[in-house]
Amino acid sequence: MSTWVKVARYDLVRPANYLMLPLLLPFAFAVGAVTARHSHEAAGYLISFFIYFAILGMQTIGRSLPFGLALGASRRSFYFGTALLGMALALVSGLVLTALQAIERATGGWGLSMHFFRVNYLLNGPWYATWLTSFVGLFALFAYGMWYGIVNHRWGTLGTIAFIAAQVLVVVAGARVVSFEHWHVFSGAGGSSAGLTALGLTGAVAALAVLLLASGHATIRRVTV
Amino acid sequence: MTAAISVTGLTRRYRDHTALDDISITVGGGTITGLLGRNGAGKTTLLRILAGQEFPSSGSVRVLGASPAENEDVLRRLVFAREDQAYPDIKVGQALRAASWFYPEWDSGLASSLLDDFGVRANRRINQLSRGQRSALGITIGLAARAEVTLFDEPYAGLDAVARQIFYNRLLADFAEFPRTVLLSTHLIDEAAALFEGIIVIDRGRVVLDAAADVLRGVATRVSGPCLAVDALTGGRPVWERRRLGSQASVVMVGPLSPDDREQARSSGLDLTPLSLQQIVVQAAAGVLAPAPETGFETERTCA
Repeated sequence: MSTWVKVARYDLVRPANYLMLPLLLPFAFAVGAVTARHSHEAAGYLISFFIYFAILGMQTIGRSLPFGLALGASRRSFYFGTALLGMALALVSGLVLTALQAIERATGGWGLSMHFFRVNYLLNGPWYATWLTSFVGLFALFAYGMWYGIVNHRWGTLGTIAFIAAQVLVVVAGARVVSFEHWHVFSGAGGSSAGLTALGLTGAVAALAVLLLASGHATIRRVTV
Repeated sequence: MTAAISVTGLTRRYRDHTALDDISITVGGGTITGLLGRNGAGKTTLLRILAGQEFPSSGSVRVLGASPAENEDVLRRLVFAREDQAYPDIKVGQALRAASWFYPEWDSGLASSLLDDFGVRANRRINQLSRGQRSALGITIGLAARAEVTLFDEPYAGLDAVARQIFYNRLLADFAEFPRTVLLSTHLIDEAAALFEGIIVIDRGRVVLDAAADVLRGVATRVSGPCLAVDALTGGRPVWERRRLGSQASVVMVGPLSPDDREQARSSGLDLTPLSLQQIVVQAAAGVLAPAPETGFETERTCA
């Protein structure tokens, strides 16, 4: 058994966090069904499921890393083994979201004309597009969470604050450039971002996920426990 | 004897202090070596570097013939049980199960039996264990892993005397059956002294003593009795410490005692007490030991 698989198994030894996944969806759905009775647009609540993936990535690094290294895993194996687990979880979760979206379509929005698993532009295409976009989005957030956890482990609270501040600066600077140049990043009429189709945007997020993964790896290489 | 651990010119600097300063040591394979020294001497930093958990600032570190940093060929043959090990929020049994996946020579029977001996239940959450029970878990993983290189850093912090004796007995029994290289850092020097074949003492980041335990056991003797008789026996010899109370004196004399010395001591009514390992380590940490034994010791008389 490769060390990556051993690490993924080790991460699963603490199942409580992962058991939250199947519980989170029905909870968010119930909240959405109650609060969006009139608008029928409850897809915003689905974001909680995606955000939880970032939290999972962060917690896995923060809580499991010291003992993982004590068990003889290298930093590289620990990192990619954990990423492997995140990838598997994202694949399965994407499949679940795809199946639930198909049911939502077939039942006319669960008999309530509700849009929970059908997200305009992003998750509203054929099943394979929904699966791919969900998988890529979930995994990118997991990788982001891992990087966040590594930064926190390596540089503590001050480092994490600097990390957040740097990201805010990048986002603000990007927004200023977009505003200054009068670029139309989001087209309301077509519901597309920067002229990309949903699959095109998925490709861009996949590239971002690779970048996040590489950044996390570069950060964990000098982590000490 | 092949070196299992070989460290040359190892230095670890942090922003405001130097934890290890140009350390060079060699630990032979199939031995139990004591790593001793005061708090903050650099023992844990050294062990963390050997386990690949910390990086050196400079110098060379070889464990089982290769650098341990990010080297799984070495890391899977090495276990490091440390006093301050952080665990995820899992149960004792889950931690042992995870350890069994990583160590090819893992002995589940030994792990269960050690838990029984220490009175730790497998279904307890680790974060609910007492300090001593967490130490017992670390010892259990360290021994049951049967790794070729086993590093213990203050493994029995918080353990009572009975549990510590269990550790010594089980370590020796398992070592006899499955020889390996054990490097054990401890403050309970005399208690663990019988285990050690080699002793390494670190003080303020530097190695101040690196010798075979057998050599150290006869290296110094406390001579006590009438002042003039003490002076007659110890006069002109290297001495670490002198005390005088009235007509009585007590002197720590360096070097082996000949049969003539013993006869002279007996006839003069002198007590001869070999210095314990702990006392020798205290002297070493105080900087009394020098590379050349004849230099730097007092040789004047006590009763003059």
